[in-house]
Amino acid sequence: MAKNQYDLCIDVLRRLESAGILQYIVLVGSWCTLFYKEYFEGTGYTPLLKTRDIDFLIPEPSRIKTKVDIAELLKEPGFVVGFTGSQGYIRLEHPELIVEFLVPEKGRSTDKPYPLPQLGINAQALRFLDFLSKHTITVHIKGMSITLPHPAHFALHKLIILQRRPDQAKSSKDEDAAQRILHSLIRKGEKKFVRDVFNAMPPRQQKLVRKAIDKLNDPEVADVFA
Amino acid sequence: MKVLKGVLKEELANSLGMQKNYERELAKLPQGSLVKKTIKGRNYYYLVSRIGGKVVFAYKGKVSDEEVREYKKAKEYRAKYRKLLSETKKQIKFLRSTLRGKEPV
Repeated sequence: MAKNQYDLCIDVLRRLESAGILQYIVLVGSWCTLFYKEYFEGTGYTPLLKTRDIDFLIPEPSRIKTKVDIAELLKEPGFVVGFTGSQGYIRLEHPELIVEFLVPEKGRSTDKPYPLPQLGINAQALRFLDFLSKHTITVHIKGMSITLPHPAHFALHKLIILQRRPDQAKSSKDEDAAQRILHSLIRKGEKKFVRDVFNAMPPRQQKLVRKAIDKLNDPEVADVFA
Repeated sequence: MKVLKGVLKEELANSLGMQKNYERELAKLPQGSLVKKTIKGRNYYYLVSRIGGKVVFAYKGKVSDEEVREYKKAKEYRAKYRKLLSETKKQIKFLRSTLRGKEPV
C-alpha cells in the first residue's frame, strides 16, 4: 500500500536522523506550519495549505562533516533525483513528497546551485534565509527532535519575500500564511515578542514588512507593529 | 481561489517533471529478470525478457552472487517505480481535469 504523505515525511526525517544529518537541518516552507501544531496547542491553530515540496534549510553547510549520499538514502522509499530550474537544482521526488535543500545566500546574488559534496547534492541559495535560522524552536515528533524557525520569524520572513515573488499566486499564499501565523501568535500572547523581532530587523527589512502589513488591511495584525 | 489554482498549477508542473524522471530511472534498470533453473542438481541462470511480445530465455551461464543480488534489486525497483509512475500519471490526470474546469489550462 502506498505510504501517505505524512508517514513518508516522517520516514524521510527518520532517515536523515539516522544518517546524522537532521541536527544540521531547519525545516522551513509550508511543511513546518504542520509541525507548529504542537507550539500553538490550545490556540485553535489549524495548519495551512501545503504543497508536496518539503524544504530543508541547512544554515551552516560547512558544519556537516559526515559523508552521506542523500539520493541513495531516499532511494528505498522510491524517491528519484529530479532537476529543476535552468541551473539544475537537485531535488528528490516522489508522488507524495518533493524534498529540496536550501542554504542562505551570502554575498552577491547568484542563481547557481550551491554544491553540497558531502551530501552528493546541491542546494538553492536564497536571500533572507538566515533570518529563519536566527531563532528556532524544537518540536518533538515521533521521538525525533525537529528544528523549525520560530513562528514569528516565519511570519515576518513571509511578509518580506512575498514582495519579491514574481508569481502572484505564491505571493497570495505567503500573505495568507503570514496573516494566520501572526493571528496565532497574538492568541498565544506573543505580541511583544513579534514586535521585538520586528524592531531588531534592519530598517530596509522593516520597511518591507510595513509595506506588506499595510496591504493586509488587518487592524489586529497592524496593531502589533504600531 | 487564486491561491488554490496556483498551488494546483505548481503541482501539475511537478508531476509532469516527475513522470519523466521515473521513466528515466526505469530505462536505466537492467532489462529482464534473472531466473534459476536446476538441471541435474546444478544451477543455471537465464535472463527472461519479452521481446516483440515473445518471452525469451537467454542463457547467462555462471552468475556471481553479486549479479544475482543486482538483478533482484532491479526487479524490486522496477516494480516500485512502475507503481509510483502510475500514481504520478493519475495525479496528472486529476490535476489537469481539476484545473481545466471551464477554462483552457
